[in-house]
Amino acid sequence: MTTETTETTERRWNKPLPNIDLDNKAFWDGLRDHQLLLWTCSTCGTQYWPKCYCIKHENEPYAQNMSWQPGSGRGKIFALNRHHWAFHPGFQDELPYIYALIELDEGPLISTTIVGKQPTDLVSAVGEPVQIVYEDYAELGFTIPRFELIDA
Amino acid sequence: MTDRQRIAVVGLGTVHDAPPGTSQRMMAAEAARLAIADAGLSISDIDGALDLRRSGGGGDRSTYSDVFTRVLGLPAQFYFTVGRGGAVAGLATAVATGFLDRGLANYVVCVGAVDDYTKAQLTKKQGQRGMAHVEKEGYWGKALGDLRAVSHHSWMASRHMAEYGTTSEQLGAIAVAQRAWACMNPEARMYGRPITIADHQASPLVAEPYHLLDISQISDGAVAFVLTTEDRARDCAQKPVYVQGQGFGEVAADLWWEKKNYTTMAVAPAKQKAFAQAGLSGVEDLDVVQLYDCFTAEVLFQLEDYGFCEKGEGGKWVEAGHTAPGGTVPLNTGGGLLSNKHLGDLTGFSEAVLQLRGQAGERQVPDCEVALTTGHGGELVSPGLCSIHTSTILGVA
Repeated sequence: MTTETTETTERRWNKPLPNIDLDNKAFWDGLRDHQLLLWTCSTCGTQYWPKCYCIKHENEPYAQNMSWQPGSGRGKIFALNRHHWAFHPGFQDELPYIYALIELDEGPLISTTIVGKQPTDLVSAVGEPVQIVYEDYAELGFTIPRFELIDA
Repeated sequence: MTDRQRIAVVGLGTVHDAPPGTSQRMMAAEAARLAIADAGLSISDIDGALDLRRSGGGGDRSTYSDVFTRVLGLPAQFYFTVGRGGAVAGLATAVATGFLDRGLANYVVCVGAVDDYTKAQLTKKQGQRGMAHVEKEGYWGKALGDLRAVSHHSWMASRHMAEYGTTSEQLGAIAVAQRAWACMNPEARMYGRPITIADHQASPLVAEPYHLLDISQISDGAVAFVLTTEDRARDCAQKPVYVQGQGFGEVAADLWWEKKNYTTMAVAPAKQKAFAQAGLSGVEDLDVVQLYDCFTAEVLFQLEDYGFCEKGEGGKWVEAGHTAPGGTVPLNTGGGLLSNKHLGDLTGFSEAVLQLRGQAGERQVPDCEVALTTGHGGELVSPGLCSIHTSTILGVA
């Protein structure tokens, strides 16, 4: 796997397709523009992912007091595992891969694989700082968010 | 609840090894037939049926939802699906209680059936590994390599390791203890195959930190049980096993972004209610414990959260052998999902009933009168981890 963020139309996608639905379409559009959007309360600024009502006060109907706003794309590893089995053949070439739960600096949790330099020890990797990397599949019309380790 | 009758489990039916090619609907119907016969009842007595599914509302019509009652010829006046992952035994019991309590039914049969093993063999040919079931469409992680329960449940183990210093060998102690119990259960898949910590460590890494021996079985089979009111229960063929207390908890109530549900489960509210209803003062009042064990860390968390040991101390505690045969807490005495079979998330519930009836053979816990059986299931929205915990106290007194 490459960790470049440049557009690579030749990348093959042989995995399950991401689920893009009414609630998260804007989020996936943001990834295509290389932005990690977080669902943000215009009243108090609290950020969420995925889309939901703000828990801190009364909301407008259909959470219209909230909108998708860019986040920092930085966070730290909250929990992780290393897959040694491919449960779907499309992941065979990536084995073993680190699948991590990331605690974003803004608070929400999001999960994906770690690309580039790989954590060696699963326990000491908890708390390691990471940032988002965008993996484009232009022909398919989506961008997959990955994360990579960065220096603190 | 003093003005209401207690509800009792009066019949139990288990399909362990169906002939090859047996459908889920036939396994469900057969388990129900066995449970009804076990209670000394006939099919015409049953007036309510619950279909216990893995997915909430996932009434897969072509498998057995909307089907098994007709296969069996049940004259049920109502029939519907209850589903939330591994929580179905507790949820179904609560639902059936309402129908019995209100006089809407006299006898309710609850059935869960799975053909995961057969399906896994088929999908192996397509290059997939493990259980055939994959997370549903719409699940966040599917495109990102998160395809099975182990893909996200193993986070809980790694998080507990990071927070409390728990080791893989300590998780292995849970698997080893349950295997020892399975070796006293001739119906267990792993009967006659004891394991050591070294075997656990040498078993393949699947989603590290989980080894293969941290993961529950993939099985074909079914479990059914019949519930009725106390007065009717006295006339049934088996010793009644009473539902003494029930409680539920949702880690969703803690909200996933508060990040509490990675080293604890929603045990506190479930335990508080169930133990109070049953009149128990604490875990020391339990004779046998069947904790939901889809993976080893779930057992560890529950041991801590119920108060068998201090939070974070579970690793050392299981390592000391407390849950193995001869230990202080008879835990998952049939071998559990890890070493017995994964029978539609009802393995622990059925083992509790057998123990309370005194029908557990070589593994029988002496003077067994009070059992805790738990469930754990459902998925939060992404990032997804199971959120519901059910606590059910069964007893014969």
